[in-house]
Amino acid sequence: MLFGRRKKNPIILRDKGVVDWKYATCGYCSTGCAMEVGLDKDGKAVTTRGVADAPVNRGKLCIKGITEAGILDAAGRGTEPLLRGHTYDPWQTVSWDAALDKTAAEFQRIQEKYGRDSVAVVSTGQILTEEFYTLGKLVRGIIGTNNYDGNTTLCMASAVSGYKRSFGSDGPPGCYDDFSHTDCLLAFGSNLPEQHPVIYWRLKEALEERKFPIIVVDPRVTMFAQFADIHLPITPGTDLVLLNSLCHVILKEGLADEDFIAAHTNGREAFAALVDEYNPGMAAKITGIDEDTIRHVARLYASAGAAMSIWTMGINQSTHGSDGVCAINNLNLITGNIGKPGGTSLSITGQCNAMGTREWSSCSGLPGYRALENPAHREEIGQFWGVDPEFFPKQRGRFMTDIFPAIETGEIKALWLVATNPMTSMPNTGRIRKILEKLEFCVVQDAYQDVEATQYAHAYFPASVWAEKDGCFTNTERRVNRVTPVTAPLANSKPDLWIFNQLAKRWEQGARMNFPESASDVFEEMKLLSVGTGANGAPRMLDISGMNHALIEQQRGIQWPMRAGDETGAARLYSDGVFQFPDGRAKLLALPWTDNNEKPDTDFPFWLNSGRVVEHFHTRTRTGKVGNCNKFSPTAYMEMNPDAAREIGVEHMQYVRLVSRRGDAIVLAQLTQRVPRNMVFVPFHFHDCVNRVSLGLLDPHSRQPAFKQAAVRIEQVDQAEAARLNREMRAY
Amino acid sequence: MTVKLFEPIASSRPSQSLFPLRDNEPDYALLKDPQSAERNRYGNPIALIDLVDEASSLNINGVSEKGFNPNRNKQHAFHFTADNCIGCHACESACSEKNDLPPHLSFRSVGYVEGGTYPNFVRMNISMACNHCDDPVCLKGCPTRAYTKHPEYGAVIQDPDICFGCGYCTWVCPYNAPQLDPVAGQVEKCNMCVDRLEVGLKPACVSACLGNALNFGVVENTPERREQIDTRIPGFPDPEITKPNIRFQQTRNMPRELTRTDSAPIKYRRDDAAGHYRPAVDKKSGSARFWNLPRLSSRENPLVLFTLAAQAAIGLFAMLFIGSMTGNDVVSSIGVSVVYPAAVALCLGLVAFGLFMSTVHLGKPIRFYRGFNNLRHSPVAREGAGVAGFMAFAGLHMVAVLGQQAWLQDYLPALAQFNGSLAAAAAASGVLAIASSAIGLYYMYRCYRIKARPFWDNRQTAFSFVGCSLYLGGLALAAVGSVALLLEGASIAPLLSLCGVLMGTGLALEGLGLYLHARDMDAANNEGTVSHYVQCTTFGKTYLLRNALLVLCAAGLLLAPLYVAATAGVAFWLVLALAAVVVAVIGRALFYVLVVPTTMPGAFFWKNKGFEQHARDIGLAAMPQVGVVPDLH
Repeated sequence: MLFGRRKKNPIILRDKGVVDWKYATCGYCSTGCAMEVGLDKDGKAVTTRGVADAPVNRGKLCIKGITEAGILDAAGRGTEPLLRGHTYDPWQTVSWDAALDKTAAEFQRIQEKYGRDSVAVVSTGQILTEEFYTLGKLVRGIIGTNNYDGNTTLCMASAVSGYKRSFGSDGPPGCYDDFSHTDCLLAFGSNLPEQHPVIYWRLKEALEERKFPIIVVDPRVTMFAQFADIHLPITPGTDLVLLNSLCHVILKEGLADEDFIAAHTNGREAFAALVDEYNPGMAAKITGIDEDTIRHVARLYASAGAAMSIWTMGINQSTHGSDGVCAINNLNLITGNIGKPGGTSLSITGQCNAMGTREWSSCSGLPGYRALENPAHREEIGQFWGVDPEFFPKQRGRFMTDIFPAIETGEIKALWLVATNPMTSMPNTGRIRKILEKLEFCVVQDAYQDVEATQYAHAYFPASVWAEKDGCFTNTERRVNRVTPVTAPLANSKPDLWIFNQLAKRWEQGARMNFPESASDVFEEMKLLSVGTGANGAPRMLDISGMNHALIEQQRGIQWPMRAGDETGAARLYSDGVFQFPDGRAKLLALPWTDNNEKPDTDFPFWLNSGRVVEHFHTRTRTGKVGNCNKFSPTAYMEMNPDAAREIGVEHMQYVRLVSRRGDAIVLAQLTQRVPRNMVFVPFHFHDCVNRVSLGLLDPHSRQPAFKQAAVRIEQVDQAEAARLNREMRAY
Repeated sequence: MTVKLFEPIASSRPSQSLFPLRDNEPDYALLKDPQSAERNRYGNPIALIDLVDEASSLNINGVSEKGFNPNRNKQHAFHFTADNCIGCHACESACSEKNDLPPHLSFRSVGYVEGGTYPNFVRMNISMACNHCDDPVCLKGCPTRAYTKHPEYGAVIQDPDICFGCGYCTWVCPYNAPQLDPVAGQVEKCNMCVDRLEVGLKPACVSACLGNALNFGVVENTPERREQIDTRIPGFPDPEITKPNIRFQQTRNMPRELTRTDSAPIKYRRDDAAGHYRPAVDKKSGSARFWNLPRLSSRENPLVLFTLAAQAAIGLFAMLFIGSMTGNDVVSSIGVSVVYPAAVALCLGLVAFGLFMSTVHLGKPIRFYRGFNNLRHSPVAREGAGVAGFMAFAGLHMVAVLGQQAWLQDYLPALAQFNGSLAAAAAASGVLAIASSAIGLYYMYRCYRIKARPFWDNRQTAFSFVGCSLYLGGLALAAVGSVALLLEGASIAPLLSLCGVLMGTGLALEGLGLYLHARDMDAANNEGTVSHYVQCTTFGKTYLLRNALLVLCAAGLLLAPLYVAATAGVAFWLVLALAAVVVAVIGRALFYVLVVPTTMPGAFFWKNKGFEQHARDIGLAAMPQVGVVPDLH
């Protein structure tokens, strides 16, 4: 034996004692990884593993998915419904009936006194599609407020808006399999390895099979930028100029797919006239990307057999977010890269069910991509639900980012927050605090009682979370996948579907309508609404009539459209070149750029950029409590260029104070050449941190805030005092 | 060597005992090594045993079934493509899930080095676990024999049920693979996921990798779609120390200089001649000198006390015994005095105190007796055996000399007839005690000759230990001798002269060692240089104070014969002698707190000693999800 051992030691390997695995889809981001949750002999969810034959993740999971079992019994879970008269009163534990009765009564009282729209509902991208559909039915069909939106306005609204403006409908046209067919990939403001590591892995697998060029547009040298063949370190907020200039070169040099343009688009003339102004020399001065590189990239992209663009918040969270998305669509339309394998405009979505809320929650209209502005849609849904179509507003109401200002002005008196945490996630949270104080009645429905918004709540509904519930998520590539109730809801928490159904009964109108209790029955109802004819005379695009819960699980997720009778879903939209406008043509849009960002100046000399880190999700209500995630960044920090730091005497691992025109925040400085000399980057996950200073100018189309463009200065602070504050701010 | 590539799924047998295989395990998780070389680059055979005749069950969790991996007799290794790692922590979390680890522990960690200037910037992540070395210094160092290098897969596996938590393996490992868990009081480490290997699956971390950076297979095999199997990347310690079973691919060009984001003042510079990167000092905290006296106190405080007390006892006993044997007038007069047995008892007391302190230092003190399990390899075990032998023989010696004491024989006259035997026993046990103490002291020194800790791996450790034995022993001799002489009414001046010279010599020896050490460290260009930089800055003032005191004490005590006849001289001597104790304590505390191991680079929070200390200081560590264990000492 080795090293003189005659008898080797027996080996003891610890494990979690899994005796059973149950199916779910990850409840964090929109990659849509299929997983199995491992249960021990006591039925406790103890671990997870990727489903080996899942088309999305092929057995892989990222750190958040791997540790996800830990969120079910994480600290801060709500266990009982709570009520209080004022926000300064202590909470009283009450029965569900009491909490629901009080909430319905308050909503009714406030609506009677101030009008129907004085109650606002802000939902999420985190709950199940069946729950979104039911919430939409409750809000549109019973409560009747037009101030109803989701927090998707903070992340994907620009993509939605851009898709609608270019193609006539929401719905990402591509899929992950496009990586295996593309000849060039252009990524805008997407840190794929960190934000969507499993999608990055799919890309890496495709690259190892067949090398193709990667171009990354990002002001930070992320790992993705580092691995790119060409990195374009762009000046924040100027993507639209770059895109117009790329199109300029492509049209000027005759590299466009004129046949595709002629056959499938409108608006070439105005578009060409506009991009003509954006010659690379002019664009270079604005974007910081030299003109040769712009031409080089344009030629590379246009000459590739199939080329695709992906983007995330670098585009969406901008004052030109919607225009940026349209400009990416322009680029792909003029190069004929829509609807073909490897050629697409693929927004990489944020939340696990941002797509579900876009499709079915009625936030921006009526279910199934229907519009309030369309009388036929109001009629159809009114009849289906048993609601007088006249009860529906004739046009879409306020976006989430306009709801808060309407509370400020006193137009809205009551707010219902469902699984969202504006106290951390909205820009300029100092203003949000003052706004929430003005509410007469605020309900927070969340799995976590310690979500910061409960400080301003009069009622708290403890919701069940993720795999305690039953239903579906839709992912970035339109794949509908199943979440099954792996464990029983914690304590007296209840699934959101149950809460919506019970609340609906508190209205007379609700008692007359049908609210199915089981998620599969809700899904069957949605299927009925998904069939029909679209605006272009073709069958509806968002068609799920061929799916059912059992089949979805069996296929480990199915992409819509899947019509009744189809064996499986469709990988891509618009493969036939027919778009969702009435004439079936996409629009080439002329998108002039205006310079309206807050930019660094002598008082505030740094760009403030924000974003995610791989180990955290959103406002840390889950990952902040899972040690094996949280330990990788347990406290707020800021990336800063060491050369800039030297000038103002900031040292590595030192606390500094970030100051903007809105407020201040304390962060630890991490000095790295990852960021340019005039920029700092702060992860947005931490409570009372970057969003105390962010501005969030709104995009005119999507009303999405420009989180990533603001100006700050950096000041020295007393280190002991800053450390104390940092400790106090970290309740989790 | 060729084996028939097996189909894990098809090969799987109905078994309740082996790792449960799904019938659709993804291809990337399957081990594939149809071919392998005969010998690795170090010349060692890759097949560690014969597969058919010698291989036996790994006996995992009491399962006697043998796995069906046809390469289970071969040394396996991780392969890491540094070009590809995205730092996503999937490997670390998959490992923590598989092994059910609390947040403050990790068998695998990802850190990084970075360099360049925006936007021409490069960050290289490094994911590192155990390298299951050909020469497992952890196994050799462990006094309890908690480690086994299994001929199956060459896996180096540690058994926490044997471990007593001394943490010595965490000192000797250059890669920070063994993890000392201060909460459980034991070490745990990567187990190569041998349960997965037995059924043909790659380890959990490898199967989880999202950057296609980690891979695993028979050592020296180049994985699919890879071209390099190198043994070095920037930030990775010299592979010559342990002959690690990890191979790298790193083909992208890197900046000449790479820095670490953690608090370790180390950077890496490309050595064009050698073709790889070498560590260098990164003067993160400038060149200002500080006291930082509270930071002298560390987890290793018990070892400061153990080594000092044991060296004092060894020195005292040697001086007493050898002095008496060689007929030194002063010492002989102590040897025949009633104080002599008490002096030997003082030696015993000091050693017992030292051993008690070193036992307290263990994570599981109740298992102290396991410290002698690995006499074959471990200097710790031999040190323990030497010191224990010294205690036993010095104890016998004390009994023998006690039996010859006149006052005892007055009380028990029968003893007188054994005077001859007692004298012989005293001489024999004294010689054996000296021999044992020499063994103990030598292995105490060998314990710190750790290649992964260049600050210690120097002759200065010997100069210091021998020097301390002389000057602390000399001080103890002066103490007991004074009592003896005062009882006799004799002058203590000759004693103080003798002890002063002995102590001055010891101090001079340590001073010489320190001078040579500083010179070596400055020239070494390794982590030792970094330690010395910290010594001269963070502890700069403390260091100067100790050096000044040392010179003063050495000179003053060597000159003792000139002034100890006067009362004021005695007082001066006393002041110098006490200052020498201060020199010893500061010096030994510095010895422990300064050492910078050749560990892997950390990240900004995780595996950053600076942040860990900050989290403890401000109370963040009280939250378990921060992954930092609060202060325990």
